[in-house]
Amino acid sequence: MSENKHTRRNFLKIAGGLIGLSAVGMWAELTKNQIDLLNKKTVTFPFNPNREISFTDEFIIKNSEGKVITYSAHCTHMGCIINKEINGKLICPCHGSEYNLNGIPVKGPAYKPLEKFKTTLSTDQKQVIIET
Amino acid sequence: MPSRSTYGSLSLAFFSFVLLSGILLAIPYNVDKPYTSISEMLIMNPWASFVRNLHFWSSQLFLIFSFLHLYDHFHRKSKIGLKKAMAFRLAIGVLIIFLAMITGFLLKADADSIQARQILFTLTERIPLVGKILAFSLLGKEGNFELIYVHHIATFTIFITIIIIEHAKRLWPSPQDFFIAFLILIGISYFWTAPLHDTMNPAVKGPWYFVGFQEILHWMTHPEWSVLFITLLILLIYIVNSGQGKAMFLSKRTLLIFTLFYGILTLIGLFFRGENWQWSFPGTKDYKYTVLHNFKTETVNFSPTFSETDARKSPVIMDRKESCVICHKDTHGFTDSHNPKAIGCFSCHGGNPFATKKTQAHKNMILIPGNLENSRQSCGTAQCHPNITERIPTSLMSTLSGMISVDKYVFGEQKSPNSLTNVNQLIGHSAADVHLKNLCVRCHLGNAKTETGPITDASRGGGCLACHLNYNPKADTAWQKHQQNQNDTTYLKYHASISLQVNDNHCFGCHSRSGRISTNYQGWHETTLLKSEMPKDSIHYRLVEDSRVFKKEPADVHHSLGMQCIDCHTSYELMGDGKHYAHEENQEVVQCIDCHFSGKPHLTPANKLTDESAIISSLRFGSITGKKYLTTHKRNQALINTWYKNDTAFLISKKTKKVFAIKAPAKQCQRDNAHKDVSCSACHSSWAPTCIGCHNSYDPNEPGFDMLRNKEEKGSWVEYTGSYLAQLPSLGMRIENEKEEIIPVIPGMILSIDLSNFNKKLHDSLLFRRLYAPIAPHTTSKTSRDCKSCHNNPTALGYGSGKLTYVVKGNNGTFVFYPLYENNKHDGLPEDAWIGFLQNRTGMVSTRTNVKPFTVEEQHKILLVGACLSCHKENSKVMKRSLNDFSDVLKHLSPRCILPDWYSDKKSGH
Repeated sequence: MSENKHTRRNFLKIAGGLIGLSAVGMWAELTKNQIDLLNKKTVTFPFNPNREISFTDEFIIKNSEGKVITYSAHCTHMGCIINKEINGKLICPCHGSEYNLNGIPVKGPAYKPLEKFKTTLSTDQKQVIIET
Repeated sequence: MPSRSTYGSLSLAFFSFVLLSGILLAIPYNVDKPYTSISEMLIMNPWASFVRNLHFWSSQLFLIFSFLHLYDHFHRKSKIGLKKAMAFRLAIGVLIIFLAMITGFLLKADADSIQARQILFTLTERIPLVGKILAFSLLGKEGNFELIYVHHIATFTIFITIIIIEHAKRLWPSPQDFFIAFLILIGISYFWTAPLHDTMNPAVKGPWYFVGFQEILHWMTHPEWSVLFITLLILLIYIVNSGQGKAMFLSKRTLLIFTLFYGILTLIGLFFRGENWQWSFPGTKDYKYTVLHNFKTETVNFSPTFSETDARKSPVIMDRKESCVICHKDTHGFTDSHNPKAIGCFSCHGGNPFATKKTQAHKNMILIPGNLENSRQSCGTAQCHPNITERIPTSLMSTLSGMISVDKYVFGEQKSPNSLTNVNQLIGHSAADVHLKNLCVRCHLGNAKTETGPITDASRGGGCLACHLNYNPKADTAWQKHQQNQNDTTYLKYHASISLQVNDNHCFGCHSRSGRISTNYQGWHETTLLKSEMPKDSIHYRLVEDSRVFKKEPADVHHSLGMQCIDCHTSYELMGDGKHYAHEENQEVVQCIDCHFSGKPHLTPANKLTDESAIISSLRFGSITGKKYLTTHKRNQALINTWYKNDTAFLISKKTKKVFAIKAPAKQCQRDNAHKDVSCSACHSSWAPTCIGCHNSYDPNEPGFDMLRNKEEKGSWVEYTGSYLAQLPSLGMRIENEKEEIIPVIPGMILSIDLSNFNKKLHDSLLFRRLYAPIAPHTTSKTSRDCKSCHNNPTALGYGSGKLTYVVKGNNGTFVFYPLYENNKHDGLPEDAWIGFLQNRTGMVSTRTNVKPFTVEEQHKILLVGACLSCHKENSKVMKRSLNDFSDVLKHLSPRCILPDWYSDKKSGH
């Protein structure tokens, strides 16, 4: 009888564990798929040839010497959104990290450069296309 | 049931209010437009606002009392001794409480919340293996709050509820605790409204319980390590709850020390960190705005001043309702860019955008936004013009660098007139400092405009308003009525506008002094006449607001054509380019040749304009596509009111919109080899204001005024002027980058300074200076001054007024000069002279180190032509020939030509 009890408890533990693992697996899979679905995207913004630095919620678009480069607006320290440029520096409002206009940190705490995204201009030069 | 209230039982009571108020709050809260919906609660639904306060304060107090409950155990040495599983769930529960709190903070969706969300996401994302999916599962898609809402109201709340039931063996508090909590919450929730960021304050901070963590993160280049740190804290709580002996005791003490340390960091984060997490201390410039602003809160007003209908009709401004525009709904006069329907009132005037009665709304309001002292909170906020307000303080109109340095140089307090100085650092009490404060430094942009009303001749300073403030006739009339009768509130309907219409009268107040370029440009010359001496009904005289009398002289040709100051001067010249310059000629870039060029134009295509130039050009003149703009040779700044098309350059007046085809310089100017080193203004300035016989002395009994502090004081420097003249400017040599250029100069500083009354100890109590100053007269004439006005003119050469004659006796030619004024006792030169006749003068001669009078050799060269002109007419063939090759003319002299002695001596080798 007691052996049976142990067997049943063990079985329930294993079954519970397996169900738990499957739940974790499912959670991981569905979330990963959802992240991929949202992250791999191409976004288009109107291109302002006169503006050297433009800010959107997610991106910093730099237009200088005929080249358009897009950086992530997220500070590499804690991900805060950088939304201003003062005297040639991109400044993070949360912890005061500063980057130059090439996305290189010039004042900590951030030490990694801003992430770059592939950027092209539409054939009529009116739109900037960013691939993330 | 416990008979007395404990921290634990009270925290349970507060939690019950969190649940109840949360359910009610879900009714007005809109997860699709969270920030808008909260602003609507604050403005239009006072009961919802009150319930929000209940929810906020009950949750804060739940957190505080839960920790006091924990602390209760920390300071005891005895063990708590919970079962391991229970202790584990409780430790996790602490984390979940924080998550429930922070998700509540995020659901405000204001500027603080949006950045806090990014921090939480990044921190979670950096947990090894599961970080990414955990972060996404917790916070969901950027910009969407649904998942956060679900976790806040369900996941975390259910978890906390279960833990509470399991831990306390009950969910509902005792009636006594419930009543205590109710009383506390009702009071707090009425008096202190839960915070909502106004989007203007540049300081971004997390909730109070996380600002200590924000401070820690600020010091960490690898913030992911903080996850380990959090895990360690949870582990310590677990050991405290379940452990015993030394481990338990050490954990308690560690947590206690950590709490103390964290408390200090929290205080730092709350009270000493401002914009961009920089140090900020009480008494510093922006402390009130960036730090104390966070604590600004109001009582709940259950009967708003405005009707619900008006509130509903009011526009949503930058994702929120703003109560200002509900009351001030019919105000007119704004430019499109500053229309309150787009930017509200708060963007410029501050105050409280979520208030529901006048006193609350107007608290901390900026009556006159645009003064430099408040420009970072109004015109210069991140959404508006931050780059401009950053650079204006370094521009000359703000620093007055040249004015201060030259004055100190003249007083012998500074070795060079070129040092970079700033009016804001003029804190000394030297003779020059006080002289500047008494007589000069009112005209700087930092001098605040303290009263409403239009810019007039008497206006000085005023930051952005100095140039951009305009009252249309209706606004002006309404303002005048209000001045006469303070009860007349019509002025509230007609607002002044902030616009690109920078008229000449904006410049007039300051620039009608010193070089007087504003008055020169309009053809007005200042006299020494008193108001009572001014000829009546004469169109040739003008009285300005400060009682100075001006006399008519020829106006600048550009003024006569209807052009304004800003038709030549660019935004970078006027507002600076971010660099600190010593003198105006260093900051200014526009030169005559930029528009009046010969040969190929210097152009900038529209797509290469700076953003500022492109915006201003579009606002003023519409589409810029395809245009090519004339560009300054100095620093390549596009002149946005010009363009080049079909081999012709055009200029459009910014005010009148009148179009001019720009002419190339006259052929004489282009082909002439003789005058290639002469600046355009040396020939084309029809007159310049001069003054001589100036004396400065300090009178300790004179009622004085400190222009920097705008305060009256006893004792002042007094300036005694001699005479003011309008005459053709003298000429001098500017040497820059080894290039010499002949420029107009005036006797800017021929003066004596009596220091004896200022400081009795001064060794040399009387200073005498004879300095000339370079000038841009702004009296351009179409025709140039004639040849003799330079070559045979003692004033032009720097000898001063008088009679210069070329005397020929036999084969000898000599120039003779009879000065008009007596020789000054200090240096033996005529009162208005720069140099002695046919003499060199070096040393302290000019208000610039690169401007000098003509050397004897240069005077000889000029006078040699003067000798020719004493017989030959300037339009004669020989004189025209001399313009291209004077040495050839000299080789073929007629026997009748008698040249000056020095030429003959030089030629014969003596």
